[in-house]
Amino acid sequence: MPARATSLGRFVLRVAAWLPLAFLVWYLTGPILAWPIGLLMAAILKLGFADLVARVQQEGHLFTIVSTLKPALATTRELASGVVSVEVNFLLYSFGLPLLAALILAAREAYPLRKLALGYVVLAPLVCWGLIAEFLKRVVFDTAPAVAAQTGFGPLQREVIAFAYQFGSLILPTVAPAVFWILTHRAFVERFTRGDGGAVKRTR
Amino acid sequence: MLRFFLGFLLLQALLFGLELTPWVQQWFVIPWTDTLAAISAGLVKVFDPTVIAEGNVLQSAHNGFAVAIEAGCNGVEATIVLVAAMLAFPAPWKRKLVGLAIGILAVQGLNVVRVISLFYLGQWNFDLFEFAHQYVWQALIMLDVLVVWLLWVRTLPRAAPAPA
Repeated sequence: MPARATSLGRFVLRVAAWLPLAFLVWYLTGPILAWPIGLLMAAILKLGFADLVARVQQEGHLFTIVSTLKPALATTRELASGVVSVEVNFLLYSFGLPLLAALILAAREAYPLRKLALGYVVLAPLVCWGLIAEFLKRVVFDTAPAVAAQTGFGPLQREVIAFAYQFGSLILPTVAPAVFWILTHRAFVERFTRGDGGAVKRTR
Repeated sequence: MLRFFLGFLLLQALLFGLELTPWVQQWFVIPWTDTLAAISAGLVKVFDPTVIAEGNVLQSAHNGFAVAIEAGCNGVEATIVLVAAMLAFPAPWKRKLVGLAIGILAVQGLNVVRVISLFYLGQWNFDLFEFAHQYVWQALIMLDVLVVWLLWVRTLPRAAPAPA
C-alpha cells in the first residue's frame, strides 16, 4: 500500500469526526454491549463475593445487583425481610469504548474491526471492576450501619474498596482505552513522535 | 515500551493514591477546585454578569441553575495521567518540566471550557448536560491528554531513547 502523510491535527480532526457516531452507536447498542459484561460480572461476583450477592439482573444498560444483605428498618434496629439491591450503570464505566473506536478508526490502520473487538475484550474486565467496586462502595459506605456491618469488611478492606471505586470510576474508564490504543498502534504513534509528518504506510 | 508502561502505571497509582489523602485534598484539591470555579466564573462574567461562584459552585443568579465542580470534573485526574506519562517517558528533566508546565496548562484550559460549556448546556437541556458531563467530556479531556503527550514526545531530541 502507498505511504500516506497525515498530521497530528488531521488525525485529531478525524477522531473528532468519528466521536459523535461512535457515541451514538455505543449508546444505542449499550444493552447488547452490556450483556457479556453482565455475565462476566455475575461470574466474578459469584466467585469472589458469593456470600454477598444473590443474583444480577440486566435491564437495558442498567444492572441490578441483588445482595443477600437485609435492610435495616428506620424505626427499629430489627432487620426487615427484604434484601438490599444496588443499581449500577454500565455506561458510566464504558464510555472509553467510543473513544477507543474513534481513535482506532481515525488511525486508518489495518484490521480496525479486529482491534475494536480485542479492545472490547480487554476493556470488559475493567468495566466490571468499576461496576463491582461501585456495588461494594455503596453497600459499605452508602447504607445504614446495620446493613454495612453485615458485609463483614474490616477497616483496611473498606479503604481498598474506596480506592478501587475511585480508581475504577475516575481513572480506568479513560486511561485504559488510551493505553490499549497506544499499545496496538505503536508503529503509528512512533511515526508521529518522530515528527516526520506522520507518514503512514499501510501494511497487510 | 514495557518499562515506560510499568513506570506510568506505578506513578499514576501513586499520584492518584496521594490525591485521595486528606492532606492533599485539604491543601491542594479543594483549593484548586474552588479556584477553577472562580476562574470559570470570572471568564463567564465577561459576557454574563449574573454568574456567581461560591466555593466549588458556579451559579446563575438569573435562573438559579448551579453546577458543583467535584472530583473527576476538576481536571486533577487528567493532570495526574499526563504527569505520570511525562515523568515515566525517557526524556531530559528540563524537557519534562517544560512539557509539564505547558501540558498542565493545556489540560486545565480545556477543563475550564468543559465547566463553562456544561454550565450553559445544563441551563438549556438537562438530559444533554448529563450525557455530556458523564460521558462525552470525560472522553474529550482524555483525548486532550493523549494529544498533548504525543505533541510533547514529538518535541523531544532524537537522541532520547524511543519507547520501542
